[in-house]
Amino acid sequence: MTCIAMREVAVVAVGYTRVSEHWDKSIKGLFIEASLKALSSAGLSLKDVDGIYVANAFAGYLQRQTNLASIIAEALGLTDTFAVSIDAGGASGGLAVHEAYRDVAHGIRDVVLVCGVEKMSEATSSDVLTAQASVEDQEYFRYTGATLHSLAALIYKTYMKRYGVKQEDVALMSILDHEHASTCQHAQYPFKITLDSIMKSPVLSDPVRVLEVVSPSDGAAAVVLCPHEKAKELGAPHVKIAASQLVRDSFNIVERGDVLAMEALVKAASRAYKEAGVTPSDIDFAEVYDDYSVMGVIAMEKLGFCREGEGVKVLKEGEAKLDGRIPINTFGGLKARGAPIGAVGVYQAVEAYLQLTGEAGANQVKDAEVGLTHGSCCFNSIAVVNIFRRCC
Amino acid sequence: MATSAYWRTRFQRYRLIGNRCKECGKVFFPPRFVCPACGSVKLEEYKLPERGKLVEYTVVYTAPKGYEVMTPYVIGIVELEDGVRVLAQITDVDVEDVKEGMEVEASIRRLPEQLEGGMICYTYKFRPVIK
Repeated sequence: MTCIAMREVAVVAVGYTRVSEHWDKSIKGLFIEASLKALSSAGLSLKDVDGIYVANAFAGYLQRQTNLASIIAEALGLTDTFAVSIDAGGASGGLAVHEAYRDVAHGIRDVVLVCGVEKMSEATSSDVLTAQASVEDQEYFRYTGATLHSLAALIYKTYMKRYGVKQEDVALMSILDHEHASTCQHAQYPFKITLDSIMKSPVLSDPVRVLEVVSPSDGAAAVVLCPHEKAKELGAPHVKIAASQLVRDSFNIVERGDVLAMEALVKAASRAYKEAGVTPSDIDFAEVYDDYSVMGVIAMEKLGFCREGEGVKVLKEGEAKLDGRIPINTFGGLKARGAPIGAVGVYQAVEAYLQLTGEAGANQVKDAEVGLTHGSCCFNSIAVVNIFRRCC
Repeated sequence: MATSAYWRTRFQRYRLIGNRCKECGKVFFPPRFVCPACGSVKLEEYKLPERGKLVEYTVVYTAPKGYEVMTPYVIGIVELEDGVRVLAQITDVDVEDVKEGMEVEASIRRLPEQLEGGMICYTYKFRPVIK
């Protein structure tokens, strides 16, 4: 069933912290910092908010904190305001934007605050691995001893064999991310890396190497959604949400038949393009979910920016750079901007806003009109595709 | 893992018991409640074959909590004789001797994590078939 928008929906404000190791800030502190920045930038206050979506993946495991939305709403002094947590791994942020979009489009709420927050730096690395693996079905996954790294490795090896490409080709994804992050103020790793350093970094699960994988990080990103008419009244720079689609697939990649199929992403993309009335060639930039280098390469293909197996060609020929045919991960993507997992989709929405309002600074994509964000949980067992459009 | 949760999954772990849709015949491992192919809730127990071949594998160097002592270990996709694919650890073989297409068979092996009271957990792992 297609979601028919009753009202046009705008992102009217954004706020975010740098992705980093924020030893001095709690989940609540990060959330409030990003949210207040967003609200004040549009001349709004907490009193104007009539709905809150909190995107978070791991607080229940890493901080032993469940019931996050109510805890945060209370910290904001908003005891009487609708507040719900969205927990869908790396798809949490994109899904929270999706829910807020529907609320505003259908006239259920007028001013909705979406904030993604994650705090991973204070956990041990094996705790982080266990938390990440907890998005899989525990009654099966846990006793296999498999990790998300090992599943990514199985996908990676299958990809290299099928398309006859090398790790040196796929790893270009991480180089691209770091290049774009090198001028990004909110990036966790704002510096360039070389192929040599990637190939010399330790192997996590053969062939996946450390410098091809996201690192634990902390951060919060917020967007404020409201009807387009209200955004015009507020007078703050704003962008429209043109489409938002979510599709699911089997968690068990082995059960999918072809581990490279990523059917949920293919479907979500095709539905989002239809909803927005665009084709892949209309997309001026995309923020793809590259928790592993190979997943970024596959995402470019499944989103229709190139043919199957030609993702590495896009990277080699520089087409994914800021001045290329289809700029990808314009602020550094998951690898280098950083990946506070539950907040990633909201960071992506923030970045789409910055590009489409011309506020992207050194990372600006020239004349950007339409941008796409892609969220994923467990190798696109949940795929979210959101499309944003510039307002003239 | 809770002792009862471990107990509930004993048949799939000890004997590779999945299930099969009575309506469309599709086989599932681990067992499902509802057939995603046809929507039927009529599912019957199905014993998976214990032999197959290794389709793809990876060597794990960074393990989740409790599994660190096993590294490096091999995780692979095993295609069983009836075509059903399972994710499993490959055991009884040196990491460098693991080969794609290798014939493997199911065996019972100890899990590194222990339940309350020191109860030892077991699961299936696949080992090379010795001819």
